Amino acid sequence: MKKSTLFSILTIFLLIPATLYFGSHIKGRWYYLTSTLVIIEIMLPFFASFESRKPQSRELVTLAVMAALATASRVAFAFIPYFKAITAVIMITGIAFGPQAGFLTGAISAFASNFFFSQGPWTPWQMFAYGFAGFWAGLVFYGRQKWCRPWLLGVFGFLSILLIVGPLLDCCTVFTVLSKLTWANALVIFGRGVPVNLIHGLGCGVTLMVLTKPLLYKLNRIQKKYGMMQKEEGNL
Amino acid sequence: MSQDSFSRCHPAVNFLYFVTVIGFGVVIQHPAYAIAGFLGASLYYLLLKGRQGLSFIGSMAGMLVLITLLNPLINTSGEHILFRLFGRPYTLEAMAYGAALGVIFALTMIWFGCYSEVLTSDKFTALFGNLIPALSLLLVMVLRLIPSFTRKTKQIIVARSAIGKGADATESRKDQIKSGISIVSALTDWALEGSIVTADSMRARGYGCAKRTNFHIYCFRKSDAFLVGLIALLAALVLALGGTEAGFTPYFYCDYVTLGFPAYCALLLVPSIMYLREAIVWNNLKFET
Repeated sequence: MKKSTLFSILTIFLLIPATLYFGSHIKGRWYYLTSTLVIIEIMLPFFASFESRKPQSRELVTLAVMAALATASRVAFAFIPYFKAITAVIMITGIAFGPQAGFLTGAISAFASNFFFSQGPWTPWQMFAYGFAGFWAGLVFYGRQKWCRPWLLGVFGFLSILLIVGPLLDCCTVFTVLSKLTWANALVIFGRGVPVNLIHGLGCGVTLMVLTKPLLYKLNRIQKKYGMMQKEEGNL
Repeated sequence: MSQDSFSRCHPAVNFLYFVTVIGFGVVIQHPAYAIAGFLGASLYYLLLKGRQGLSFIGSMAGMLVLITLLNPLINTSGEHILFRLFGRPYTLEAMAYGAALGVIFALTMIWFGCYSEVLTSDKFTALFGNLIPALSLLLVMVLRLIPSFTRKTKQIIVARSAIGKGADATESRKDQIKSGISIVSALTDWALEGSIVTADSMRARGYGCAKRTNFHIYCFRKSDAFLVGLIALLAALVLALGGTEAGFTPYFYCDYVTLGFPAYCALLLVPSIMYLREAIVWNNLKFET
């Protein structure tokens, strides 16, 4: 068995349950610490498999460029309030290069952009939420050219943000500010996040609708032209 | 950029310290510990940032008040009912709990503010470069590319407005979005073509042929070992001596403060004391000459 596979299995079946068990027995406020540790542990297998694959230079550079593009794209939309293209670019990366590339791009761009703003208690949550957006988009659309219709992508982006990515980001708030963790209390916080998530989702949906076609065309072209993100022959 | 004496320590010391204080900070809800943590974090933050830091701490204090007032709306248990709002009790205990949560929230944010100042990206990659070589290389590349792409985006915007295609705040939403799309796709083309050059250059220089070596300027000195020992000892004392438990709703209780509390305070003050000691020594030297 590959070392990274073994590591993933150990993490998921031993480390996470152990964290949950011991974490809930901490005397004091365990919600934030335990949940954040679990979130980090969920990301570990992705990172481990990337490391053990010994990625080639082209793959590495492409991921770096996509992650940086996702962060830098906000300058292009500076005039439009709340319009964030970052999740849309991450999703497009997942669609073009597959779920794993999407996850890494999302997680790295969240982490890197926080060096320019500020790291905070939200960093692991943001890494996971953005990574998941790329992973999820890749899972659904990667290798399915026919599905990539603008309206379908738009609806997909909007719903993904509203139902998955946004609530994941809100989870961080739930675990930091709630005094008593019950479903009713958590729903209050999630409910307060809905307007923000709506705007974020609309921005992402619209961007996906109009940006996917030109961007996918370019990514596919560069893949064809230079053989990027394909298996490199030997170690040339 | 001048650095204070704690920031000049080995990154491992910085990382260990922040993991410890933030870990204790988010878990312990004993009021004395929380307030001490808040003060300790604020002191170091102010020493690092000077007068500019005040506005951040002020906004965190605002959040504290907000959380204090909002918590009783969500959590309704408690013995002392102050008044009823829409038929739901608004209790003193829940308000106290909210205050404690607010303090914990604020101290976490302030510690993270210090973390951002002290543990810069170069230190992070120096610390984890051996453990996760591919990921930290990826991170370094992204950190370099973000400013470069931002500059290029601005160039594209200026170039477009020079040929009359610029979309500023006066244009309609639709035109702004269209213009943004064109900019992003121009940027993508440029970036991807450039990335080929980088990748080929990396391959030509032998990336991936052997284990990556890395250079960094941090060496682990005796004083670093001492600090690691001190942090570990103080953390162990806090854990072992206990007295950190407290509960708020439905009724308030908290442990008697033990000797763990001074240990916790000492832990909180480590970077500030290092900072002040350096300042005093420097001052004395200035007046001697």
